[in-house]
Amino acid sequence: MKHNFIDRYAALDSPLHILEPRSKLLAFSALIVAVLCIPMDRGILFFVYFFVTAILMGISQVPLAYIVGRTLVILPFIVLASLAAPWKGLPGLWILFIRAIICLVLLILLTNTTRFTELLRGLRKMGCPQILVMNLSFLYRYLFVLTEEAMRMKQARDCRRVGRAPFAEELKTLSSMLGTLLIRSFERAERMHSAMLSRGFAGEFQVHSPRRFTWRDLAFLSGVACFVAVTFVVL
Amino acid sequence: MTDYAVRITRLSYSYPDGTKALEGIDLDVAQGERIAIVGPSGAGKSTLLLHLNGVLEAKTGTVRIMGLNLESANLRQIRRHVGLLFQDPNDQLFCPTVFEDIAFGPLNLSVPRDEIPRRVEKALADAGLDYTMRSRTSHHLSLGERRRVSLAAVLAMEPAILGMDEPTSNLDPRNRRHLIDVIRGLNATLIVAAHDLELVLDVCSRTVLMDHGRIWADGETRSMLGDAQLMEAHGLEVPLSLRRV
Repeated sequence: MKHNFIDRYAALDSPLHILEPRSKLLAFSALIVAVLCIPMDRGILFFVYFFVTAILMGISQVPLAYIVGRTLVILPFIVLASLAAPWKGLPGLWILFIRAIICLVLLILLTNTTRFTELLRGLRKMGCPQILVMNLSFLYRYLFVLTEEAMRMKQARDCRRVGRAPFAEELKTLSSMLGTLLIRSFERAERMHSAMLSRGFAGEFQVHSPRRFTWRDLAFLSGVACFVAVTFVVL
Repeated sequence: MTDYAVRITRLSYSYPDGTKALEGIDLDVAQGERIAIVGPSGAGKSTLLLHLNGVLEAKTGTVRIMGLNLESANLRQIRRHVGLLFQDPNDQLFCPTVFEDIAFGPLNLSVPRDEIPRRVEKALADAGLDYTMRSRTSHHLSLGERRRVSLAAVLAMEPAILGMDEPTSNLDPRNRRHLIDVIRGLNATLIVAAHDLELVLDVCSRTVLMDHGRIWADGETRSMLGDAQLMEAHGLEVPLSLRRV
């Protein structure tokens, strides 16, 4: 089974891909915060930010169809969230919707122009706690192993089941499957810890980072900062 | 007194639930020796391997590695000497990329950072893999590749003693043969726990038979594995290549 649903296009080498992860983290966070802060009565700014996002999309070389596909997956949640604030009226809903879409596309761009590992390294260098980064890294690594384990269990269940059981029975099977998955994960964690100890782990994850902060990163960061400042002060 | 790579005396261990896993194990392994540990499932083979670098601590008895007593003060030094290859590569490859997984051990051993890429390249080559493999993610590799990357991750620490738990399990014939060739080419002292008796015949000159946490026989591989009575008494069978037609 092959999966790479988080950072499928992160291995390309567009001008966005070769930037240091910290500069991308900062720049994209700034853009997202800016989009969230656009006042409702300045609709023009949404177009400006949408335009800039589209430019970034073009530079990143991540296929448009992929970005649209990913957005569609999360669309129902956005619609639900928009509906959860009915007091804002129709224009308010539209704006909430557009805000969410722009932020989502920016996030998809960030995760698909930076390998997840480098993103984590960036977070670590920016002072994010070691334990959090380590957990995220294990989550990324073992998500696939757990998915496969769950799928194998599902296949095993399907092989021994004839037709559909009553709902309560199904629920019972499902809960025991989840329990088994939890125990298996726990046992795997124990074995991983042994493997880590065997290779000299003493509590601190050492990382070897190939990318450096260069003039490109500085240029990109200052560009984004100027853009955000200009849009809020001038427009 | 460092002629022995491993010297285990009267080692016993029980799991927290009370199951006795090892009882009075005595075992000496000379430097450069290649020994196999065979026995039925649940015999205590894996548990014994986990004692070699202090992942499990001896309840009674002593373990000496390269002349050092296995105790917390020596753990760092001992883990430098002993590499363990686990049965399931998914337990061993916990980093997002192959490079990081192989670099994990050397970085923990404080190998200078500019030497890391060279170490990774050498370890990959020693495990019969190409350097281009380094940027792949572990979950996209085949089982054979994962097993060899796990081996590379251990070799990168340049261990003097290498413990392996079922290195050929679940491999297809070609990957199995490739891995056996890689193992045969290694210089370290080898301790291989295996059900694959053909691998044992191929690689190890000495074999130790374990069952119910004890050592029942210790001797030359061919004569022990050819002893049908002994093998059957412990839930094993004589490998095909040793059977008289």
